Amino acid sequence: MQERYLLTNRQINDDLTRPVLTTPFWFWVAAALLGGGLSLGLLVVAVFVIFGLGVTGLNRPVFWGVMITNFVFWVGISHAGVMISSILRLSQAEWRRPVTRAAEVLTIFALGTAMTFPLIHTGRPWRTLYWVFPYDFFRAIWPNVRSPLVWDPSAIFTYLTSASLFVYVALLPDLAVLRERTTGLPHLFYSIASLGWRGTPRQWYLQALAGILLSALILPVFVSVHSIVSWDFAVSLVPNWHATIFAPYFVIGAVWSGVSAVATLMVIMRSVFKWQKYITPDHFDAIGRLLLVVGVGWFYFFVLEYLFGFYGAEPAEIAVREFQLFSWPWNLLFAIFMLAAFLIPVPMLCFRGIRRSIKWMLITSLLVNVGMWLERYIIIVPGLAYKQVLTFSYGEYTPSIFEFTLIFASFCMVGLGILVFSKVFPLMPIGEAKEGQIFRASVKVGKVEVPAVIRE
Amino acid sequence: MSDTHGHNGHEPSPLVPPGATDRAVSADVLGRVLHPAGRRFRGWALLLTALLAIGVVGFLLRLQGGVQDRTQWGYTAALFAILLSTFQAAPLVSITQRFLRSQWRRPLGRATELLAVVGLLNFLIMLPVVAALPPLAGRPSLWNWWPGAPHLWDTLGVAILVVNGLAVLYLAALPDLAALAVVGQGWRAGLWRRLAGFWVGTPRQWDIQRMALGTLGMFYFLMLVFSHSMVAMDFSMGLVPGWKSAIFPATHALSALQGGLATTIVMLFILRTVGGWQDYLHVDQFWALAKLLLSFSLLWFYFFYSEFIILWYGRQPQEEATIGLLMFGPYLVPFVGAFLCSFVLPLALLIWNPIRRSIRGPVVVACIILVGQLFDRVRLYVSAYSIEQVGGHVLEHVPAFHPPDLVDVMILVGGAAGAVLLVLLASRLVPVFSLWELKEGMMLRKVVPLVRLRLAALAKPR
Repeated sequence: MQERYLLTNRQINDDLTRPVLTTPFWFWVAAALLGGGLSLGLLVVAVFVIFGLGVTGLNRPVFWGVMITNFVFWVGISHAGVMISSILRLSQAEWRRPVTRAAEVLTIFALGTAMTFPLIHTGRPWRTLYWVFPYDFFRAIWPNVRSPLVWDPSAIFTYLTSASLFVYVALLPDLAVLRERTTGLPHLFYSIASLGWRGTPRQWYLQALAGILLSALILPVFVSVHSIVSWDFAVSLVPNWHATIFAPYFVIGAVWSGVSAVATLMVIMRSVFKWQKYITPDHFDAIGRLLLVVGVGWFYFFVLEYLFGFYGAEPAEIAVREFQLFSWPWNLLFAIFMLAAFLIPVPMLCFRGIRRSIKWMLITSLLVNVGMWLERYIIIVPGLAYKQVLTFSYGEYTPSIFEFTLIFASFCMVGLGILVFSKVFPLMPIGEAKEGQIFRASVKVGKVEVPAVIRE
Repeated sequence: MSDTHGHNGHEPSPLVPPGATDRAVSADVLGRVLHPAGRRFRGWALLLTALLAIGVVGFLLRLQGGVQDRTQWGYTAALFAILLSTFQAAPLVSITQRFLRSQWRRPLGRATELLAVVGLLNFLIMLPVVAALPPLAGRPSLWNWWPGAPHLWDTLGVAILVVNGLAVLYLAALPDLAALAVVGQGWRAGLWRRLAGFWVGTPRQWDIQRMALGTLGMFYFLMLVFSHSMVAMDFSMGLVPGWKSAIFPATHALSALQGGLATTIVMLFILRTVGGWQDYLHVDQFWALAKLLLSFSLLWFYFFYSEFIILWYGRQPQEEATIGLLMFGPYLVPFVGAFLCSFVLPLALLIWNPIRRSIRGPVVVACIILVGQLFDRVRLYVSAYSIEQVGGHVLEHVPAFHPPDLVDVMILVGGAAGAVLLVLLASRLVPVFSLWELKEGMMLRKVVPLVRLRLAALAKPR
């Protein structure tokens, strides 16, 4: 990192614990707004329970619509945490330090939000419990255990558990800092939560070791989650779903949208918590470079996925592709998706000035996620909506106002989760920030002092 | 991938021999090119030339039979794919690590870029292989109405890749060639002067060189992926009716990156042990490459499984026939060999840090992976080239395994020897270590104390 501030330990403690120890007015306003949005979502769920899913736009043969799109989208966003935290930690990327915690927390809340959608989608969530416990393997009346629909919950729960563990292990030193700065009930809470952390060399060693191990172990889980989500679609024989590339295509798409979401979060954290000395344009430049590579990689998979829709010249597949690309309103949605997910952001990210601009990075990262939500929608619905040979009864699918409300509510749910988390725990890792200060150095080249980093 | 200098706080390995000055490093690196070739070098060159000659004879014999019988060209196609996936993929190690500004790549960058010269030989090998491809009519392809497809465009794609690889090598070697032009003598000095006489190292020239290297490097990456996608589609999948797999081009490109890494490791080991460069190549380089190799071996399995599960789960006739041909039918042995050598054994070995963090460990794994490349490419190309009826939506008849004949063996051995010979000869014209990058590394690094440890501080100028 070229742009660095010399910060004392006290200053770091003060800056990063401030959001936990003080409650500004904007916090209540934001919490009320996000809580209001979430309440709307709960109201919609109540409507579903009372009146049934008939109030949605779901209609034969489109039984998977906005709710499943939301599920896939939020599982995708949840890939941010592991990408930023574990891969960058293992590769010792210096710029990861201020953003790891926020990315991991985004993972947890995005995953939690994602999990609610299949439940809502069942229409009768309580019946889900009825068939899950105890699971019947033998009478062939429960969902087939060999179906990815059954693997999904296992993968997602494993991911949620390991991501939570990942956050908690990294939080330990920070909880101890908060323990020392609080009194009363909060002190008791942080005392218990910090598990007697004293910062001895052995504790630091074990914590670092656990971090490295979890980073390595969580990677296969991270890949498996979205792969399994993709197989929900790909193992079926629906034209445009039955593609071998779906697993890596979904995973890289998830990284593309997840890392973009982290960039958005970085902008928000920097402006809301006044962390300009911690999140600098250099950090945006670094995440912008990462996004550029991921974006181009995603495009390669996208191109393969689409081209192979036409390879083989199978009439059913080509018909769905044409339907997806040229019929109203899919053509418009496809154009917006392409512009938002690739054609605008990737060329923009090529420019250093844009990567280092907070405003432009916000716009770019938001655009990517608009595009990526549409991508999932365009993958899921047209494959079902197109009339196949054996489809005798079919109707149009148009999302209802209730489904749009659920999209809005899902963003509020994730936002509220992160906001509340930031009130209880530091959203930026204090230990990492201090370690970054220890590892800073400089090397004199000619007359210039070039910033350097000490490698462990 | 960043720098890897150990988690135990050990003092980092020196970039150049301890205590060596700028001048001494220059003399060492340039001296190996300037001094006359030794007896051992000549011996190896002679042996490799003899093997290459055998390969050329085999190639001519095969050409005599024409390209109508595609089955006869299966092993040559596999050889072409192997060289494309090993020697021609290796420069990416340098290109990507330069993009990431990793410090550990400095001693190995040039060695990997040098491997791009093999593209010249591979291009010649490709010509009859591409000529043996049937016309597009009546079989699935992505080219559709493109005139001259696939023959013209495949040839052009690989040609651009070769030129691009040589351009990267030339640009990266430019400052060193200029240095050689100053101190060299004889006909080689004349060549160096012609190649780099204009280089005086002004700030503007350095800026342009860096910018051009970045751009060409990026282009090489894209071209390599594109070439592999094309080759995978046209030379393998497109010949098997009913095999439709969007992931296969990406799998092919990915396994090429794995092969490129393995080739790099073997090359470094040879340089260290036979070339006497042990003061420049340390365990750090092997360790960093081994980590990448482990990642790529895991990715190999992931990509393989992503394809397999869809074909296996789909159970459509064309999918079952494809699996029958490539995995569980006549090519079961190459498939098992590829699976073991590309994934199982590398994982079983590289999962252990003491093996990763050694010199021999990664080298053994790299050799295993190269054997895996051979199995995999034989499985994919010999099987595809042995199919007679390439039209239709389903592979009606799974052909029997096509074993190599004597001519195939001659071509395989000659091709591999020719590739090594080209690299060996190129190393007499271009230093195998990038002098300017080593010197830059010396400037941007210092050892600093931290508590009781001595660690490396690495500067990364903007």
